[in-house]
Amino acid sequence: MNSKFSLRDLSLFFALLAIAAFFTFAVPGYGFVTPRNLTQLVVEVSITATLAVGMLLVILPGHIDLSAGSGVGLLGGLATVLVGGTGWLTKALTNFHAWLGATFGAKVAACFPPPPWPDPVAMLVCLVVAMVFWGLMGMLVVRERIQAFIVTLGGMLIFKGLFWRVIESHTIPVIGPTLGKSWPLAVGGQTFDVPQDWLHRLTTEYLDATTGLLLAAVISLLMLLGAVRGWARRRKHNIAGDDGELTFVKWLIVAQLLFLFVLVANQYQGVPMPAVICGAVAFAVHTLTRHTRFGRYLYAIGGNEEAAVISGIAVKKIVVRAFVLMGVIVAITGFMQTAYAGYTTPDIGNLMELDAVAACVIGGVSLRGGRGTVLGVLYGALIMATLAKGMSLTTFTSRYPELKYIARGAVLILAVWMDSRLSKRID
Amino acid sequence: MSPVLSARNLTKRFPGVVALKDVSFDLHEGEIHALCGENGAGKSTLIKLLSGLHAHGSYDGELEVGGKFARFRGIADAEHAGLAVIYQELALVEEMTVAENIFLGREPRRFGLVNWEKMHRETQALLRKFQINLSPDTPVSRLGVGEKQLVEIVKALGKNSRILILDEPTAALAEHETQILLNILRDLRGRGIACIYISHRLDEVFAIADRITILRDGETVFTAKAANTSKPELIRHMVGREITELFPRALKLDPLADHQALYVENLSVADPHTGSLRLKNITFTIAPGEVLGIGGLMGAGRTELLMHLYGAWGERVGGRVAIGRRLLPDSPPATLRSGLALVSEDRRRQGLVLDQSVGFNLSLSPLARMSRCGLIQPAREHSLNDAFFRRLGVRATGLEATAGKLSGGNQQKIVLGKALMTEPKVILLDEPTRGIDVGAKAEIYELINNLTAVGKAVVLVSSELPELIGMSDRILMLHEGRIAGEFERGATQEQLLAAAMGGESVSASPAPPTLLTMPCTYDGSYAIPSSIFLPIL
Repeated sequence: MNSKFSLRDLSLFFALLAIAAFFTFAVPGYGFVTPRNLTQLVVEVSITATLAVGMLLVILPGHIDLSAGSGVGLLGGLATVLVGGTGWLTKALTNFHAWLGATFGAKVAACFPPPPWPDPVAMLVCLVVAMVFWGLMGMLVVRERIQAFIVTLGGMLIFKGLFWRVIESHTIPVIGPTLGKSWPLAVGGQTFDVPQDWLHRLTTEYLDATTGLLLAAVISLLMLLGAVRGWARRRKHNIAGDDGELTFVKWLIVAQLLFLFVLVANQYQGVPMPAVICGAVAFAVHTLTRHTRFGRYLYAIGGNEEAAVISGIAVKKIVVRAFVLMGVIVAITGFMQTAYAGYTTPDIGNLMELDAVAACVIGGVSLRGGRGTVLGVLYGALIMATLAKGMSLTTFTSRYPELKYIARGAVLILAVWMDSRLSKRID
Repeated sequence: MSPVLSARNLTKRFPGVVALKDVSFDLHEGEIHALCGENGAGKSTLIKLLSGLHAHGSYDGELEVGGKFARFRGIADAEHAGLAVIYQELALVEEMTVAENIFLGREPRRFGLVNWEKMHRETQALLRKFQINLSPDTPVSRLGVGEKQLVEIVKALGKNSRILILDEPTAALAEHETQILLNILRDLRGRGIACIYISHRLDEVFAIADRITILRDGETVFTAKAANTSKPELIRHMVGREITELFPRALKLDPLADHQALYVENLSVADPHTGSLRLKNITFTIAPGEVLGIGGLMGAGRTELLMHLYGAWGERVGGRVAIGRRLLPDSPPATLRSGLALVSEDRRRQGLVLDQSVGFNLSLSPLARMSRCGLIQPAREHSLNDAFFRRLGVRATGLEATAGKLSGGNQQKIVLGKALMTEPKVILLDEPTRGIDVGAKAEIYELINNLTAVGKAVVLVSSELPELIGMSDRILMLHEGRIAGEFERGATQEQLLAAAMGGESVSASPAPPTLLTMPCTYDGSYAIPSSIFLPIL
């Protein structure tokens, strides 16, 4: 809530600049800053950041989700299988369809067609499955008082097993009978083609140049509106905070960065869809944590659970809800990650939970709960993904891919060490 | 005969308080010396000082053990000098056996490995010597509280302690266990071991002590041979505290309504972990505009009662509770909505999110009133927070100040504000003035008066008898989970303390109306509009 720039925020920003600058010069032929590479980087950052923002919801009340990576694989794989109509699960569902037909008649069976399902339906089913799984884990954490570490560690193994069962440990391409088809949509005399292969296009779809710029304009206008309203309220009630000038400068910087991003992306193919999805998720979680009761309670529970109980907060309900939301975000990340890979393979999602936790921690989220912001997590994800992407491009480090892990591990530890150092000095 | 322990002119200051003033105290070989006093009289400070927990140099005065000056820098020094403290919270490792616990930290070794055989043998010898019927190999987790206490004592004696300090050893013991313990202490006395025995139970004190010393407000006010004194005399000395603070409790107004705000009927509650009964057959009512004081010694069940009413603790075994005409729900969010709020005893642990701002903490409970469809209305939140911040007179830079950095009194005001902002009909205050300065205390008393003036019912739990007498319209004293006495205004400290210590139940007022016999004319809509309530605050 402290609105002044803190040493810590600045250190994050400079760390990011330093990493980006390093790769700009280290990658041969300035390959790092080409629009194509930056677009890819944005897609990868978006996927990492989406999961990390979800992780924030679970870490804020003092828990953790180690099952997120396995969940990404499972839900992406599940969507692929349901869309493609392949594998063991499709066979099972087809048999179920036949059994329904034999027992209750064709009418009932028609309500439950076997896969392949239309992409939106398949994805919706995956979302519901994720909500149930994560809701169950949340219940185990709050009702039975098993540590989230243990519950989600178990979940990680179980989901990994389920994942491999669903895809039968095969590599399955993300294509189905809907590939290339579209629904005609008539709006005011004009007909648009709405593509049907959502899952396939999730990471290959780009906003065209005009739409991208328009979106950037709308977002910056909304941000300006929000900033002005906040400033007016602060002035009216005499609350300490940024004065008008600083508010405007902050907005100007963010808006310029936004337009810069769109312009660079437009030089390649436009703003990639994952960036839009990540932006939407981040905005939703930001609103949740900053402007709703639910979010306020998450901070309170993480800050002092006993005080939260005595303050009349339904702690258990809130934590279960956080887990359910995490499930939704895991599923969305799963769709994107699987679509980006183009295939569902048994190792999709490996170690992604740790990347998400690392992004949170680098972004200043306290693992004990009660502290952290969406903006910080986005920074953290940006640092982690930039490092990974950059290292796969330089000649030296791409020859030794294992260095990627070592560098990310070192940066994580360094960031936490600096955090504890800097916050101590501020106190 | 020179004393084995003698303390002369001990003075211990904490910031803002003098915990011990010029305390002198001695203990002879083979003597059991009982130490008595109200909660907060300075007993535990004295123990901490004797046991080295407060290191030499942090206090004034002299300590002599076995004829030599003692300058304890820590517990190890005190143990070395032959002192052992057996605390209320037992310091045994549950997962280990009796023998392992007794030799914890000084295991007999051979070639660097633990010599289990020797440990077992020596434990057996110790247990036999003190005629304790326990096996060295029993895991401590399987022992009862009384047996654990004995293991603690044997552990201390195994270190050749000559002076035992027992801090309320019988508080958690059943009658027969108490007898066993007392017999062992008598036996130890015969072997020349000196003992400082701290207890609230005067019967026990008279049964075992050779001498009795009473502490009050950090001073030794009375020392006598047990044979030369009596229970009433002890109680008189314990409560001799003067009522120096001003209690502005206005006399109770005429009843504001013909119904009670809260009915509690035959309430019995068990500890959810141990299953033992902690509250037994509690019955009382409280009217709108009334302050009901609840007193009792540590562990009498006061906090448990409030926490249970609020829905945050305990398993109800019997009885029921109603607020107005509806039964009180059993979870904090629901009780809060039905008009009962709690200000808990430990504001740092249970009251505040210390890292967050004052505003964050204030609006934690009443957040539902400040939001629409789950979205917090910042303007509304700010204006409500600001109003309470000003009316409670919180001294802080503003709503943005970090709650953890405020003084105790200001923190307490925030916790109070948080509860009051939900506009409750009944407010439970658990030690609302503990550890805060006199000025803040007076403000809180004033606040209580204002609350009752607009028809709120206040339950005030306090360890300070003058505060209880000064602020309450009626007082209930609890003893071991039961109501040991009910008093109208004008009760003396002696009467209250006698009841708290388990004297005969002296009910000074007629039995309160019960839920069944009380005519319920309440239409469920009784609530003081906040517009009346706020300006007076």
